[in-house]
Amino acid sequence: MRLIFIDRNESSRANFYPLSYSRPIWDLRCGIRSLAEKIIARLGVSDIACFVPDTMAEAYRQKTSWPVNDLSSLCGDELFIVDGRVKAEGLPKTAQSGSEVTTDSEGNVLYARVDPSQAATLAQDDIDAFLSSAGRTLSRSERSVATWNYTWDLILANAEEIRRDFASLGRQGIEGVVEEPNALRGSRNDIYIAPGALVHPMVVIDAEHGPVYIEQGVQIHPFSRIEGPCYIGAKSIVLGAKCREGNSIGPMCRIGGEVEESILQGYSNKYHDGFLGHAYVGEWVNLGALTTNSDLKNDYTTVSVMLDGKHAIDTGSTKVGSLIGDHTKTSIGTFLNTGACIGAMAVLMATGKPLPKFIPSFGWYVEGVVTKGFGRTSLYKTAEAAMSRRGCQWTGADRAMWDAVFELTAPARNEAVRRGRIAMSK
Amino acid sequence: MATIEERIKQVTARVLKLNPEEIRPEHNFAADLGAESVQSIELVAMFEQEFGIEMEEDAALAVETVGGAIDFIRDVCRQQGVETEG
Repeated sequence: MRLIFIDRNESSRANFYPLSYSRPIWDLRCGIRSLAEKIIARLGVSDIACFVPDTMAEAYRQKTSWPVNDLSSLCGDELFIVDGRVKAEGLPKTAQSGSEVTTDSEGNVLYARVDPSQAATLAQDDIDAFLSSAGRTLSRSERSVATWNYTWDLILANAEEIRRDFASLGRQGIEGVVEEPNALRGSRNDIYIAPGALVHPMVVIDAEHGPVYIEQGVQIHPFSRIEGPCYIGAKSIVLGAKCREGNSIGPMCRIGGEVEESILQGYSNKYHDGFLGHAYVGEWVNLGALTTNSDLKNDYTTVSVMLDGKHAIDTGSTKVGSLIGDHTKTSIGTFLNTGACIGAMAVLMATGKPLPKFIPSFGWYVEGVVTKGFGRTSLYKTAEAAMSRRGCQWTGADRAMWDAVFELTAPARNEAVRRGRIAMSK
Repeated sequence: MATIEERIKQVTARVLKLNPEEIRPEHNFAADLGAESVQSIELVAMFEQEFGIEMEEDAALAVETVGGAIDFIRDVCRQQGVETEG
């Protein structure tokens, strides 16, 4: 059986902006694993292909060994097609057979099981036609599958997903180095420290209320407190941080200050003091010293988020911090508002006040207004420099993908820049 | 209507807090007028607002002198069909 991940529907992808500008939804983290890793573990398959937005395909090929947007992957085997938003635990086990489909309320395929003979009868012009054909003609599954609908769903579920993934992975114990003196609280069965990880003296790892999973090559510097549930990805460094419960920190991050119930995709720096709570931070982000986000309103009402800069969406939660897209940088002393949506490739300069709740991608927030700043070329040079510092390469495919994001995000940015000019001229 | 040069001097004076009468075409924005990097972003935004034009950031920020800005903005206005005098 071949597993086919799909992420082609722009309206559902938009609910995961700005994180989904540069990655398929299934690569987002929740708990210890990505959404894709959860689905793969659930189905137990190794033959995998995927379909992403065309503008992302070339860049994504650099990151995965799976065939990307290859129509031939739809032939020759039983297919299990899954939208990246689907929650793994609701999917049927692979032992079942026959063709069936489940769609969302708009008719988009959430998952479909297609046997080879049935696949041959479906439209083969392109993946969208294939999915549309599958949605119309396959027999309906009686199973309804739950989906992740917004980025904050992942944030709010993160602590519980760490617990679930920790139990599922079944690893425990100290295989790395823990230097004395230190304090490990809770059951040792709820702590996993991988080989090559180094915990310096004077560190508290508190697993009393949830497991702590520390990957290979992680360094935890003195005076850090790691409170479970928590996941720290490979080669990340924790620098005396107060890591409160519910954090998932991807690989190669630098973490200082206070972090709570947040997800960092990877390769991002929050090196210094400052609070990050109930946030989702993309890759290659740098949060300047004392950057702080609010995750709770003073009146304790639910937090709304503007993903497009126009329409507020009520998250239904009183605790939502910031959503921050890839390659965004904040200056020292930046204050991010509750439920702020900060686009990708943005540059934020502090004003001493909380910033607006929406900053468009590629926007430079300078002197209290959104400007075009030093432009796209400057941002790309910075991205290239940041990536090379971590041994990664900025490629032509990356540039092409971000050029497409630049165009996609132009309307919101142009409107913000226009307003900025007016404000600046007064 | 004021000339392009007069309008550019007025905008520059407002952003950099200078006397417009002291600004000359040969002045370098950074070296002579003290423009810092953030102010160069403001200058571009304010020139766009003043003339109703859109400038390409890399090209606009490569302009170093007041006289260079006059030539550059005159060209952009012409390309974008914006009427100016002077």
